[in-house]
Amino acid sequence: MAESQIQTMDRMFHRIMRGLIDTGRPPHHAELARALGLGVEEGRQLLHAVMSAYPIGWLHPETDYIASFPPLNGLPTQYRIGVRGEQKWFAQCGFEATSVTWLFPGETVRVEAPCLDCGDPVTVEMRDGQLLWVDPPDAVGHLNYGFGPSRGRPPFL
Amino acid sequence: MNLFRSEEHARRWAQFNPASEAGFISLPELAGFFGTETRRHMLDGDYLSAWFPKRAAERREYLTRIGKTSPFWLGTPDP
Repeated sequence: MAESQIQTMDRMFHRIMRGLIDTGRPPHHAELARALGLGVEEGRQLLHAVMSAYPIGWLHPETDYIASFPPLNGLPTQYRIGVRGEQKWFAQCGFEATSVTWLFPGETVRVEAPCLDCGDPVTVEMRDGQLLWVDPPDAVGHLNYGFGPSRGRPPFL
Repeated sequence: MNLFRSEEHARRWAQFNPASEAGFISLPELAGFFGTETRRHMLDGDYLSAWFPKRAAERREYLTRIGKTSPFWLGTPDP
């Protein structure tokens, strides 16, 4: 791949992540194209290239809409993220929720999610990667299917 | 990949996979797993080309360090 293509993919990746952080939603490829000085179709194709290079995220099936761009998610999940008292983000999953802290340096990031068994809340607060608060204290992470080739479906479980 | 109030809550979840008993991880270990070096560079302008490709090896190294070396965690096919 040409160096210029790699740099443009890096720039689009950064724009998507920055857009999610700033607004709580992923940008559309037409917006990305304009920001990067590309044509709309060129931007759409570049988005697909970026998602191929970042396969832990995905587009909504049969569309060009960014559904998931971990650690954040465009499509709402039960993992609500709050920063500075504002709750406008969603994490891709419970595991990725613990990585959102790295998108908000120096800030306390609060993860709130209902337990899938009882619906009561699980709350985690982190700052710069450090756990500040876990409620209840016995809260755990759980991987329902193995990683990689042995994993099952759906992928977010 | 979910958070539960406790292991017992996870086991009571209607979609709990009985073959996932190995799938529990404590919050401190989880924070470490998702706090390895590459994660700290997600805001870098070259994250996709320079850091993301290092992520898989880094994850395996961390999982090995905390003793999660089964195919379930390392992503190798079941025997």
